Amino acid sequence: MNAENTRRAEQLLGSFPNRSSALIPILHLVEDEFGFIPEGEVESVAAMLDVTKAYVESVLSFYTLFHRQPTGKYLVQVCRGLSCHLRGGDDLARFLYEELGLRRNGTTEDGLFTVEEVECLALCKDAPVIQVNLEYRPNVSRADLAKFLRQAREGVTADA
Amino acid sequence: MPEKRLLLRNLHVPGIAGIETYERTGGYRSLRRAVLELGPDAVLQEVMTSNLRGRGGAGFPTGRKWSFLPKDGRPRYLVCNGDESEPGTCKDQEIIYRLPHLLLEGVLTSAYAIGAEQAFIYLRGEFKEGYRILEQAIAEARAGHYLGDDVLGSGRRLEVSLYLGAGAYICGEETALLESLEGRRGLPRLKPPFPATAGLYGMPTVVNNVETLAAVVPIVEMGGAAYAQLGTEGSAGTKIFSVSGHVRRPGNFEVELGKVTLGELLNDLAGGPPEGRKFKAVIPGGSSVPYLTPDKFDTPLDYESLKAAGTMLGSGGVIVLDDSVSIVDASLRLMEFYRHESCGKCTPCREGTMWLQQALERLHGGEGRRGDLLTIQGLCEHIDGQTFCPLGDAAIAALGSALRIFRDEFDQSIPGGRDRRVEEVAR
Repeated sequence: MNAENTRRAEQLLGSFPNRSSALIPILHLVEDEFGFIPEGEVESVAAMLDVTKAYVESVLSFYTLFHRQPTGKYLVQVCRGLSCHLRGGDDLARFLYEELGLRRNGTTEDGLFTVEEVECLALCKDAPVIQVNLEYRPNVSRADLAKFLRQAREGVTADA
Repeated sequence: MPEKRLLLRNLHVPGIAGIETYERTGGYRSLRRAVLELGPDAVLQEVMTSNLRGRGGAGFPTGRKWSFLPKDGRPRYLVCNGDESEPGTCKDQEIIYRLPHLLLEGVLTSAYAIGAEQAFIYLRGEFKEGYRILEQAIAEARAGHYLGDDVLGSGRRLEVSLYLGAGAYICGEETALLESLEGRRGLPRLKPPFPATAGLYGMPTVVNNVETLAAVVPIVEMGGAAYAQLGTEGSAGTKIFSVSGHVRRPGNFEVELGKVTLGELLNDLAGGPPEGRKFKAVIPGGSSVPYLTPDKFDTPLDYESLKAAGTMLGSGGVIVLDDSVSIVDASLRLMEFYRHESCGKCTPCREGTMWLQQALERLHGGEGRRGDLLTIQGLCEHIDGQTFCPLGDAAIAALGSALRIFRDEFDQSIPGGRDRRVEEVAR
């Protein structure tokens, strides 16, 4: 972890009634910094909390938002909840895989995009829904996705 | 039938996520009243009188849940369950993202009532923007002395910490949530002991849903007795229903319990089925409850009526299927969800959801086998009631009802016509 995140991690260790509660927030710091949880960081997080590496592994492997492989600059999560399924969510995933030449739940070779089909994202009224780097995009169409891919490739920030 | 908006009444007021607008529209009056006029016991009494029932899914009376805390001098905690992950449910998301101060006021008022100095708001990992929004709200509330070491000059200390989960449906189960909050895998705990006696860090703990805690604000404002006048005797107050799927106007609708029928919600508020379509079936309480068909659409939306109709009010996530939907396809999609989200602790749920998914994949792919419906029926029976937490029962609730109601569609997916052995094993 970089110096800023190390400082924040140390702060987190003291901010709960029990130090153990800091593990998941610290793993979030690692995931945010690297886009995944690198092997070496598992070791340093374990040392920080005075637990075994295996224990940290056991926790992080339980949660889908912690990745063990590098993810792309844009993590695109396509909701496959039933409500999105009923309103064309599958088609969005299919479109992304075709456009990006990906198999299911993969990362492009240029490291720009990771596409994951995920379970219900809790915005069912605005189905179909995706999240890009954990920010919602409601009522998404193929055209919206095409625009997003184009802008991302041109290096324009996604919200521009 | 119009909506009755208590929680969502200021949803469309510009700037309502900020404290100035929130205060100007009456915000933090309930917390003031609680802390400066009523005192903790009177607030608890108002919530008891209101007959508020938990809005997360189980519908347990909130005041009673609070009253189970032992008075033994140990520190106690309030945990707000913001892990909203039940398919079809997006009401807490709306409160967190758009009405953060309403939630915060509900959390603070409730923590005050139960004598907790420290509250936690546990958000699902995907609510990262919601986390930032609440972080901002907490900073504003601190500046306004609504939380901190000396709340509104009363000498009482109230702190709220945010906690971001990391992607796991099971963490919506209250003991799994506590495990996660303590930095572990989200596996449900054995009950008893219940969280009221041994919850977070082994201390007395109340876990309440976002909508439940938000409802404490209007209850304190209008008084528990007035709140109890809304709705029906067993189902007091208002409830937010998230309507999604095949309707023209999907959305969150807050209605008085028992005063609106399922049909009125779907047709009058949500705009009816898409052009040229008819409703086929509805899962009214999140994906973990049995289906209702249009012949039951005159059922009033309250806990008792929906139970009498063979389903549950649950989380209020109403998923609507029109006549273009294959029930086998919908069943497969839901089973994939439960198989993915089963925490793996109990064999019937872990293995059963996998077997059910495999059988449904065969039916869906036109490769149904003669014994598949028998397998599905048998698995449902062997999961039912055989697991540590309710996820197992949840996984089979919609499927079991689909098999009863839409048996013909399942029959068409297996060779040789109706398999009568299914009736023999069914209870």
